[in-house]
Amino acid sequence: MMKNRKLLGAAISACCLLALAAQPAFADLLDDITKAKKIRISTDLAIPPSGMMDSSMKPTGSDVEVAEMLAKDWGLELEFIQTTGATRIPNVQTGKADIIISTLSVTPERAKVIDFSKKYATLQSDIGCLKSLNVKDWPDLKDKTVGVSRGTTQDTMLSNMKDKELKIARYDDDATGVTAAVSGQVDCVGSSATIINQIGVKNPARIFESKIPLASFELAIGLKKGEPRLLEKLNAWITENVKNGKLNAIYKKFHGVELPPDMRG
Amino acid sequence: MGGHLNANHLLFLGHGALWTIGLSLIALIGGGIVGFVIALARISPLRSVRLLSAAYVQLVQGTPLLVILFLGYFGLAAIGLKMSPLAAASASLTLYVAAYLGEIWRGSIQSVPKPQWEAAEGLALSRTQRMMKVILPQAIRIATPPTVGFMVQIIKNTSLASVVGFVELMRSGQIVNNSLFEPFIVYAIIAAVYFAMCYPLSLFSQKLERRMGRGSANFSLA
Repeated sequence: MMKNRKLLGAAISACCLLALAAQPAFADLLDDITKAKKIRISTDLAIPPSGMMDSSMKPTGSDVEVAEMLAKDWGLELEFIQTTGATRIPNVQTGKADIIISTLSVTPERAKVIDFSKKYATLQSDIGCLKSLNVKDWPDLKDKTVGVSRGTTQDTMLSNMKDKELKIARYDDDATGVTAAVSGQVDCVGSSATIINQIGVKNPARIFESKIPLASFELAIGLKKGEPRLLEKLNAWITENVKNGKLNAIYKKFHGVELPPDMRG
Repeated sequence: MGGHLNANHLLFLGHGALWTIGLSLIALIGGGIVGFVIALARISPLRSVRLLSAAYVQLVQGTPLLVILFLGYFGLAAIGLKMSPLAAASASLTLYVAAYLGEIWRGSIQSVPKPQWEAAEGLALSRTQRMMKVILPQAIRIATPPTVGFMVQIIKNTSLASVVGFVELMRSGQIVNNSLFEPFIVYAIIAAVYFAMCYPLSLFSQKLERRMGRGSANFSLA
């Protein structure tokens, strides 16, 4: 599987290059969306609490509600394009989806291949450990294994901290990482506060708490490069819904905390 | 987030299971047809056909299915060829399965003892007649166990189609698990469903072997 992942990475890069080379300049995505009366949004429905399923298997989560609100405001039908974390970006590059709303953090690497809207939310990531563990700063993490979801920004950040001598265990998704923490495979995880709290809910004998703040990521809507009209419209929509507090309300409903002060409207 | 497994979750998993079955059928039928052509091409009297089919088999066998799927769906789209997830998954699985089945069947055909080929030739049968009446009936018997073994693998490999947006059994389980955080229950159910798909196939293969084995008790490698 590990080998497959590496090869998949290579394939993704190859596709990105191809997509860059085959950038059609004539079509305007916003016109296409308006004409189709439908917007196709790429959302990973397996990253709680942003994208997940409720008990009747309907999509729910903060990204899902943002997508629903956007489609409603623009008077469009909404189609969720099923995606995994790794295929979010290829989906918009190759026109399989119009935009990405899927806890997509803004990073310089990603900005090379897609355009980002203004931030519509932020995601606070922490190192969370077993409550009883005496962890105050990075040196305390030496010789401890930190669980992360593979390919996430947390993974990239921790992997780059070579000097900290961290042991990193990479899991396929948040649910698997939580299980590793619940079952005692790891005593520390690098994730969002929501996920860190979820561990104690699943196993009250192993309550985790945030120990070291890792980073605050800006989450933005991703779209294909070279679509200025769509980008402008998205930005205007975000500005409006930051101001009227709707984006903050959605965030609070699912993440339990409010957005930073500058985004509360 | 959280909550308990309910009928809706099971329904969702069931829907995923149907896709797994559907993809497997497409892979086996498509791959079977193309694979048969490959097997014949591999033993063709024409050198160029042999080389070309061998190159195809080597290329596909040396590439992970995940990458074939990815290139089929995103790669072709990047150069302007629109493929639906179903078309991309069907084509990729067919290409992949054909390379393996072609090779399994070539081996089976060639392992029919040489005297059988010579005897058929000695009876002045044409090449087609030799194949259809003498060689293939014996080759099928040899090919059955490895073919079924490979089919069982393919059923499980269809889980890779989630990369092109398919919510098949494995991916549906992942989605349910990320809503419930109950991996043991969810993955136990998935394991049971995969087993329920694969085991009958193995049983069928055993039965087939026994039935075809009849009447060949005296068959020896002369």
